[in-house]
Amino acid sequence: MYGRKASQLLKEFVSGEPGQLTGFNNDVFAQVIEECDGNILHLQALLRKMQEEGSNNQTNKNADHFGALVHHLSLVRNKRCLMAYVYNRAEVIQNLGWTIKHADLPAAVKEKLSISENEYFGKHSSNLQSYMLDLNLDLAVDMVPPKDPYIKVRVLEEIGEVLLSDQIANLAMHSILFLKRIDAESFISQGKMEELTS
Amino acid sequence: MESEGTDDYETLISTTDADLLKRSWRNEKAAPEILQFQSSLVQRSREQIQLMEETVEELIANDEDPLTVSLYQMDIDRTLFLLRSYLRTRLQKIEKFMFHIQKAEDLWARLSRQEQKFAKQSIEDLKTHLEQSVLSKLPDRYQSHLKQSVISEEADMGIFFYLNCTYIQICMFANNLISMFS
Amino acid sequence: MGQYHHDIDDILADEELVPAVFLEAVNGVGLFESNDTNRVEPRSKVELPFWLASELHLRHVTSVTIPPCFGKKTQEEIGADGAHVDLRSRCSYFYELGCKIVQLINEKTIGSLLLVAFQTRYKEVLIKAHTSASALAPKYLSLLTKEETKLYEAAKSSTEAFKTWRMGGPRFQKASVLGRKRKPVRE
Repeated sequence: MYGRKASQLLKEFVSGEPGQLTGFNNDVFAQVIEECDGNILHLQALLRKMQEEGSNNQTNKNADHFGALVHHLSLVRNKRCLMAYVYNRAEVIQNLGWTIKHADLPAAVKEKLSISENEYFGKHSSNLQSYMLDLNLDLAVDMVPPKDPYIKVRVLEEIGEVLLSDQIANLAMHSILFLKRIDAESFISQGKMEELTS
Repeated sequence: MESEGTDDYETLISTTDADLLKRSWRNEKAAPEILQFQSSLVQRSREQIQLMEETVEELIANDEDPLTVSLYQMDIDRTLFLLRSYLRTRLQKIEKFMFHIQKAEDLWARLSRQEQKFAKQSIEDLKTHLEQSVLSKLPDRYQSHLKQSVISEEADMGIFFYLNCTYIQICMFANNLISMFS
Repeated sequence: MGQYHHDIDDILADEELVPAVFLEAVNGVGLFESNDTNRVEPRSKVELPFWLASELHLRHVTSVTIPPCFGKKTQEEIGADGAHVDLRSRCSYFYELGCKIVQLINEKTIGSLLLVAFQTRYKEVLIKAHTSASALAPKYLSLLTKEETKLYEAAKSSTEAFKTWRMGGPRFQKASVLGRKRKPVRE
């Protein structure tokens, strides 16, 4: 059945955890494009045949006409599925831009993106950055309403000496310290620290 | 202020910029569509934040009581959060509905200059991405963004789901069912 | 392009099979694997995905009939103990497909069936979502359609959010794309 493979792409997308990406399925994607190429060949052949037989496509709706219609509908269907696949993935990628800088993207996530998606991620996050620059305000922090200016965190990865907004801190692995909420936030979203609550 | 009546005091309280900002933020969060950008309010809030930050620096320089300082700081933090969250909520709506917003003149006019710039660039980037990934690989006559194909009588009919909030979707779904069948 | 319909659930609902009869002959299509001639004869009884069946129905190439999941058997079971009917195995887009079918063919009984089913089951979904221990859930969850599963999860996550808010706890979290699990801390 036409369109079946394209819907498999979408089923695969929704079966993943929300906010997460599965690898871009190049194989199935290419198979759907192949199906589209097949549809257009059949469509053109049927239209040619009708022309040769001198039948008018609009008035004389014969079996060839309906065959062409089925191929047209299948193409439109496949297009809709492919667009939805790329579009919905692009939405996840847009959200990524809020938590991770393009350069900081871990290899494991990068592998899941297609070449064009990777490019799109880079462009979109720099668009976001340039908006923040225009405003001179970082919008990637303060994701939850503030309670205390300082929070207690545990360092999960060796980060080393870093200049924070109020101090130079040595962020050694396993160390537990009080940091300004704003300073800690991006480390936490990158998975390099965790918040401790007493 | 003490000499004024309670009524005046209430009015004054309810119209402080902090309160207006909170109201705009709440409206923006709850509304499915993008609202008018509160340009002068944002401007004033940013000036207030800057003023408060300067005050805090002065207090620290004068060795004021740390408690006073931290109260000021928390007030700054709260305003900053509201401001950031307000701008962020708008930007995320733009990300989600950019094509729709661009097409509707009244919505487009609600964006700030910087938001319009961001939206234009976002549309450009996403179009390029969709073209590279899908459209350029389809047969010639099916490459349009706007139509399913050149022989389609009409543009794509689907309605872009404008509402993202799960709750609204649920209500819509139930309403549709009820209005269709009861 | 903004009008392009990118809603995945809507697309997948269109993939559900519906019974149809061809009214016209169709040439040059490889719709059915068993068919070698690539021609479909009039009066062929087939199952087609809704996206194709509906477009052909509108052009009088096929005639769509009511899918079995909206038939008498389902109606009776919904009437008896609606909350515990396994709708998912019949059609995971039960409500969505039902609405689409009604709009396509003028059929009177599906509407009230959908409404009654949704109302009875919605109550149960919420009760289960707010009370049941997660161990009990999988069996019940396997009966739910896609829409009901979403409702269940929405209800569940708001209960959880409420608990987190009351109990306190970490509010800052790792970016979800990086995965939920914490990296094992190397010693």
